[in-house]
Amino acid sequence: MLLSPSSAIDSERPPRVKPNARDVELARHGKFWRVTFPAMGSPCELLLDTDDRSEVQALAGIATAEAWRIEDKFSRYISGNIVDRINTAAGTSVEVDPETAGLIDFAGLLYRLSDRRFDITSGALRKAWTFDGSDRLPDRAAVRRILRQVGWHRVDWASPVLTMPSGMQIDFGGIGKEYAVDKVAGLVREQTSSPCLVNFGGDLAVTGPPGRQDSWQVGRESLQGSTALPVGLIQLRSGALATSGDTRRYLLKDGIRYGHILDPTTGWPVDGAPASVTVAADSCVQAGMLCTLAMLRGAEAEAMLADEGVQYWCLRA
Amino acid sequence: MKKRKNGGISTTLATATCALLGTTPVSPVCAQEIDKWDFDTSLLYYGEDNERVQDASVAVLATRNFVDDRYLALGLTVDALTGATPSGAITQPVAQTFTRPSGKSTYTTPANELPLDDTFRDTRVAMTANWQQPLGRLYTFNAGASASKEFDYTHIGLNARIARDFNQRNTTISAGIALARDDIDAVGGAPVPLSPMLDVGDLANRMTTQSKDVFDVVVGVSQVLGRNTVMQLNYSYSDASGYLTDPYKIISVVDGITGNVVTRPLTPGIDGPSHEFLFESRPDDRVKQSFYGQVKHFMHGKVLDASYRYMSDDWEIESHTLDLRLRWPLGDEHYLEPHLRYYTQTEADFYTVSLVDGQMLPAYASNDYRLGNFDGITAGVKYGWKTGNGHDLSVRLELYQQRGDIPANLLVGNQAGTVSYPDLDAVIAQFSYRF
Amino acid sequence: MARWKTCVASLLAIACSTGCTSLGVEPWDRDILAKDEMQLVTDPLEVATDDHIYFSKEASSGGRGFGGGGCGCN
Repeated sequence: MLLSPSSAIDSERPPRVKPNARDVELARHGKFWRVTFPAMGSPCELLLDTDDRSEVQALAGIATAEAWRIEDKFSRYISGNIVDRINTAAGTSVEVDPETAGLIDFAGLLYRLSDRRFDITSGALRKAWTFDGSDRLPDRAAVRRILRQVGWHRVDWASPVLTMPSGMQIDFGGIGKEYAVDKVAGLVREQTSSPCLVNFGGDLAVTGPPGRQDSWQVGRESLQGSTALPVGLIQLRSGALATSGDTRRYLLKDGIRYGHILDPTTGWPVDGAPASVTVAADSCVQAGMLCTLAMLRGAEAEAMLADEGVQYWCLRA
Repeated sequence: MKKRKNGGISTTLATATCALLGTTPVSPVCAQEIDKWDFDTSLLYYGEDNERVQDASVAVLATRNFVDDRYLALGLTVDALTGATPSGAITQPVAQTFTRPSGKSTYTTPANELPLDDTFRDTRVAMTANWQQPLGRLYTFNAGASASKEFDYTHIGLNARIARDFNQRNTTISAGIALARDDIDAVGGAPVPLSPMLDVGDLANRMTTQSKDVFDVVVGVSQVLGRNTVMQLNYSYSDASGYLTDPYKIISVVDGITGNVVTRPLTPGIDGPSHEFLFESRPDDRVKQSFYGQVKHFMHGKVLDASYRYMSDDWEIESHTLDLRLRWPLGDEHYLEPHLRYYTQTEADFYTVSLVDGQMLPAYASNDYRLGNFDGITAGVKYGWKTGNGHDLSVRLELYQQRGDIPANLLVGNQAGTVSYPDLDAVIAQFSYRF
Repeated sequence: MARWKTCVASLLAIACSTGCTSLGVEPWDRDILAKDEMQLVTDPLEVATDDHIYFSKEASSGGRGFGGGGCGCN
């Protein structure tokens, strides 16, 4: 399978709500059974090292149910869910369920770990920035205006009650996919001892190696974004991999390249961020957050990852 | 791509992730980038005492992993061999002169010294290629070819192996076959077995290119015994047929009473052997069977690797080999690996020290020390470490010792006092680098 | 010969039957077995070197894999 970089911070994904688009496909894939389905704006797959088709069907049901549950619950495009209730509360307090509280706690921690740069209220900045390869930089005044409605410090979070100023929005796009991968992998592991790889748009976790000496092989995409030839192969026996970055999304003006990683403290792209970062960690959430935190460090991304002692692969344009 | 150090952020993240997911990670991450090519390289020095064989060797093994567990390995080894090896003739209280294998000149061994054939000076180039790929979900197929070339020897071989996984890949059963064809172009021509060593220039008893065919079958099972232990059991069958004689080994013809080598009348004006020597002779077929068992056991970071092999063949040779290695980590990036190997074999049924003049010749006879009754002990240590850029380096130093006994019934006359097994002491030094 | 064959067959049968039923670990318990140093062959060049040395100095060869050889070495 190929690991294609996904953007964790500013996932401006097209809304996907049509239930009939939730098709699940089962097919043989080399030595594995492969289950594919769409979720969270990404192609998702399970690779299962088993011969038992009925087991594959049962696991496909469990995995898709969990993936779609998380999507429905935390997508900011679905009205009536907890995110929508928070975003439309117009300054009133909202009491959230334990799962949501856990995610918010986690986001708050990341906000501190990232020196305020990982911010689930930063989604509004996307209104100003469109990374289409052009030279159309946003108006500085417009960015400043939007920044008034960005900033986790403006939110009053006393678990389980959240009170957010009117006009602000939260978005779990930066955590949701990795969270779903780990949740699904956990459910699969509870159900079967057959080794499984859970891959949601390039963020993935495995429940164990396929065979005693074998490992899952994941291709790393090249800078050009060609999916035909991976630049490298990563063997994964246990744990997870996540990738952040998108080499095709940038703005170019006066010879300066503006990458798509936005710094919510300035409203402008992080200077000198790598084109893509892949991190290996025990869980997909850890891997994904390390990618994002590294990206937000810009030119110091590699230094930070090296300091943290994690396995990483950085690509720079 | 580095490891080590303990970052505060990742530790905090790990704790927070456990709280978020309500679980702890089942097993820590194990990921590794596969480079386009991996290279294993080694420099080897093998040296025997008493000016016997010295070998310097360079080897490279290049492996390439492809998507979907396909795998290619290409190997190249170049050996440069010099030195001398026991010819099979016995030590005498007088000097002995021998015709060289080429038939072009002679050499003389002083009195009371073991006759060594010093004409070994050879370069060997060997190549291997192996392809492995999964077949379906549970089978793995491997095919390979090998070829080597020496001045007087050419080898070509093919092999194939199929393995099937069972029991959630805790059990693997495999079967393989190998075929080889070797051509022997002995210097001066391979001599007719049991024909006498002749004068310089006389090649009447020499034959053209000889060949042998080898057919090998190996079936095996590997089994995971637990979280820390894995085991391998093999049975192999090997049938070699054709020219199995060593074209350079000779046997002394001795007096039945004294045990001394019979002198040979010299032709005036022509150099030739001073005593009677016959070229050795071996059966043209040999069937070997062996059992091999290996266990690898992990204990608190140390890895014990123990293996045992039992071999027996229809030349009546039986051998036992016990091999023990213990990999002892020193910190994260260094390790020490002591190695001990014990080998013992009984002699071939046609192994003899000499042939008695006037008696009927046996069909087969050889005084090749490698077909005798001896024990071999190897003791050594390997030290390995990881370089800053993640490459593996290792050096090992081992001593190999052969100590043999000649069965008393093979000794004639006074040989008990003068003839002994040509014991061997050798040093093995190897430097390996993997990148 | 016949005795050998029976012996081998029963050995494999034992290994398989015990293996297929009780022995082994779950996939996620293979972290140790997956280590490089726990592979049956950790250093293929060292194995090849030793096979070559002992092939040319002793009357036995192979066992772990094929018989080796392909040399007229002394």
